[in-house]
Amino acid sequence: MIENFLAGTSALFGDPFTIGIFVFGVIGGMLFGAIPGVSMLTLAAILLPFTAGLEPAQGVMLFAVIYCTGTYGGAITAILFNIPGAPENAPTAFDGYPMTQKGQSGKAVGAAVLCSAIGGVASALVMMAATEPLANWAIRNIGPPEIFALVFFGLAVASSVGARTIWKGWMSVLIGLLIATIGQDPVGGINRYNFGLTDLAAGIAFVPAILGFFAVSEIFVQAEKKASGKYKAPKVSMSFPSFLELWMHKIAVLRSIVVGFFCGILPGIGATLAAFMSYGEAVRWSKNQEEFGKGKLEGVISAETANNAATGAAMIPLLALGLPGGALTAMMVAVFQMHDLQPGPLVFMMSPDLIWIVFAAMFYANLSILIIGLVETKTILNLLKIPFQFLAPLILILATVGAYISRGLVLDVMVMFLAGIIGYLLRRSGFSIPGIVLGLILGKIGEQNFAQGLQMVHYDLGTYFSRPICAVLIFAGVLTLATSIYRAFTTTQKSV
Amino acid sequence: MGRLTRTHVIEAVIFLLVVVIFYAFSFEFNQPIEIYRFGATAWPRVVIGLLLIATLGNIWFQYKNGSAAQGTIGQSDDEADFSEPGTILRMFAVLLTPFLFAWLLKPVGIYFSAPFFIAAIIWLFGERRWKAILVMTFVIYVLFIGLFLVILNAPLPQGNTSPFYDFSAWVLTMNAKLQGL
Repeated sequence: MIENFLAGTSALFGDPFTIGIFVFGVIGGMLFGAIPGVSMLTLAAILLPFTAGLEPAQGVMLFAVIYCTGTYGGAITAILFNIPGAPENAPTAFDGYPMTQKGQSGKAVGAAVLCSAIGGVASALVMMAATEPLANWAIRNIGPPEIFALVFFGLAVASSVGARTIWKGWMSVLIGLLIATIGQDPVGGINRYNFGLTDLAAGIAFVPAILGFFAVSEIFVQAEKKASGKYKAPKVSMSFPSFLELWMHKIAVLRSIVVGFFCGILPGIGATLAAFMSYGEAVRWSKNQEEFGKGKLEGVISAETANNAATGAAMIPLLALGLPGGALTAMMVAVFQMHDLQPGPLVFMMSPDLIWIVFAAMFYANLSILIIGLVETKTILNLLKIPFQFLAPLILILATVGAYISRGLVLDVMVMFLAGIIGYLLRRSGFSIPGIVLGLILGKIGEQNFAQGLQMVHYDLGTYFSRPICAVLIFAGVLTLATSIYRAFTTTQKSV
Repeated sequence: MGRLTRTHVIEAVIFLLVVVIFYAFSFEFNQPIEIYRFGATAWPRVVIGLLLIATLGNIWFQYKNGSAAQGTIGQSDDEADFSEPGTILRMFAVLLTPFLFAWLLKPVGIYFSAPFFIAAIIWLFGERRWKAILVMTFVIYVLFIGLFLVILNAPLPQGNTSPFYDFSAWVLTMNAKLQGL
């Protein structure tokens, strides 16, 4: 492994043009992740046609680097403006944004930098050491029933965060699941809920919906606060977390790496569910559960470690099996195909150089998060000093481009603003936007795997419980739901 | 009515309408799938059923407790204050302006409509110094053009009516000349 890694490193840093692409990917991913309104997906969508002119290793490496640094970059907007750069950064905002409001933005961003780097580097190391055995293990032990069970568990966790009441948490997730049913059904390809519009046959595109629900709705919320005179400018702070503070959370970091890696390795699940589940587990194991959501450092640490730990793991099903785990890894498949390559077991035999350049690049990209992140954090925190009336149009114009660019449809811009209005009204009524988005993302995956799982076990649901991983995940989901049902009927905290 | 307010009733009616509409439309695609026993409607109808249960539970909770919170993690504190008619009007404008901008993208294009949109949003967010509005509109427009046109060459909507289309064509020609320097 070490020899291969060194060979990958020398190939990466031996050619000035490849170094240039690596640096562009690191800075571009971080920048597009950290600019509110656009995301790493926007950059990836713009760059995709240009990768045809690159060497295959350079093209795939560029996307892998953007994936690592973009996942971290999205935490900055989540912490500073309550606008997650990507869905996987949504749980970061639960505690990151309250920390900003309390004048602890430096501490939250500093923790995000360090934990993203730790999660990413750990994941890259495991990926380098064990891609093939882990992929083989996943083939043998993970099937549609397990993926459905994990989706079920993840949605059960998501329904208990972010909403004013537990009932509204469930309604949020179910609304997301309902939106996900728009478009062709994943089993028979039958059109559902397209209301006569051909553009809806492909379903609601994720990028505009996510931009609308997160970025545009937040702009509307801030506009309302401005209009009613309740707007308070966030406080800027430059104090980083101390070593002792971070050391106190070592268990949370380790747990988040495991959760992130496990979720990342499963095709289609990826970093979003990893972040939600890691956050949920942090709450479950905490002695001070009531402090979560009010600016607790452990919330930021758990979400950010897990989502970056999932990036390396997500490369395992992609490279070893040819199965993309999310939108960005799906674009990587397109890069492979542009160069007449097919990701899968053959790539390891036919193009080991490509694999090890990508592995080395991901390792160094995660290290760069630490170095560049710590240097640039103080500059980024100054974004808070820009008056919101000037930041809002910038975010909206960038979001417009972000929504339009992926499919070149003005309809997607309309969908984004509609999602923004719906998101704003639902937030005002105490619903959970992250819950809706997670339901939207996991809805089709859940349905597809449920159907495939049933076909696989000849419609015998009992078989689900004879598969250990599936049984454990379903049990954990049921336990989470049962606790939440009990609380729904018994808990009332405060009148609003 | 218990502790139900008018807002609670409106909220419940909207969700029940969503349930009814989606259930009614599910008959449009109620066809069997040869390889899957439950067909295309089973999953959406289960989701609709669960949404109905959650909506009824929510009504029951609001009937008993009003707008009380249950202390879920990361709960939103976004409370609206619409006591002033001016606030309602301004929010209405804030919600409508992006839609108008999106609607204009096809005929007018982004290069022409963006500066007006940027200026309108700055104004709606409460900035009244016209010099600040002009300068910041210019700065944001230059940033937008610089990043997406000059650096990334991203294909953006150019409009399809004259003279807006001609304006977009002029911007693109200028960019091509700049790239050629």
